[in-house]
Amino acid sequence: MKKLNDIPQKNPFKVPDSYFEDVNRKIISATSGYDQEVRKVSIYRRFRTNLLIAASVAGLIIISYSAIKLLTPDKRNLQVSEVLHEINPDSYINDIDISSLEVDASSILPSEEGPDVSKNDIIDYLLLNNVEINDIYEHL
Amino acid sequence: MKLKNIRQDDNISELLKTDLNKGFRLLVETYSQKLYWHIRRLVILHEDADDALQNTFINVWKSIGNFRSESSLYTWLYTIATNEALALINKRKRNAAVSIDDLGRYFASSQEGSTWFDGDEAQLKLQNAILKLPDKQRIVFNLKYFDEMTYEEMSKVLKTSEGALKASYHHAVKKIEKIIVSD
Repeated sequence: MKKLNDIPQKNPFKVPDSYFEDVNRKIISATSGYDQEVRKVSIYRRFRTNLLIAASVAGLIIISYSAIKLLTPDKRNLQVSEVLHEINPDSYINDIDISSLEVDASSILPSEEGPDVSKNDIIDYLLLNNVEINDIYEHL
Repeated sequence: MKLKNIRQDDNISELLKTDLNKGFRLLVETYSQKLYWHIRRLVILHEDADDALQNTFINVWKSIGNFRSESSLYTWLYTIATNEALALINKRKRNAAVSIDDLGRYFASSQEGSTWFDGDEAQLKLQNAILKLPDKQRIVFNLKYFDEMTYEEMSKVLKTSEGALKASYHHAVKKIEKIIVSD
């Protein structure tokens, strides 16, 4: 006998008569007492993944809310800063287009080609308003 | 694993979902013999195999909620049974009074041997040679030689790569043949 193949592949062990029927019965009756425990565990197992996801999402929301609360400036401070911004004209200087300012200014300043008013008209107007004649000539 | 056994596993998995008690009963009826012989070949004594088999099914029942129907029922059950057998072997190793390292000598001196072993001299030599293997090699040899388990299935049971299992089986066969020749 030199090789494993020389030995017939046979089960040399024996069991008592009707052992498997008996042991099956024993196992079934021994496990029936564990019924509730198993069901509780299996329900928990079934929903464990969903519970973990829900807890993670809730945690994420709480962290995000706290972060926003902590990092966003207080509303009252914001209003004060806005007011300061408004009353400080220098802070606007960079926001205004200088060319538009020139255009606007030209429309406001008196034009060299204004209405034709003579010196006599001015003297008449001032005399009508009781301005002393000496004062008028002193200025004109 | 044969096709009809795969279909039977599918039936058990489906029944476990709809009726746990009926599903478990079918599981016990389908697997008690297979798992008993797997355990028996590892622990040798009928009384030990009987204890380990019952513990195996109690553990199966307790953790049936953990079993995912997409994994293999067959390999899951063999994993639990193998762990139970190994726990019993380790317990026996700690108790030197019941050491079994030579079946012939043990059976000659015990009632158990004469009652529950009916192999011839060649069978006795083979079983003695298998007993001399390290535990892991012994499990690999038994699963391949007697249970005709594929390496893919075995890798799921023993959480070991197929390459390592092939090497382990090869070494086991060489050792067994060497022991048989020298006896």
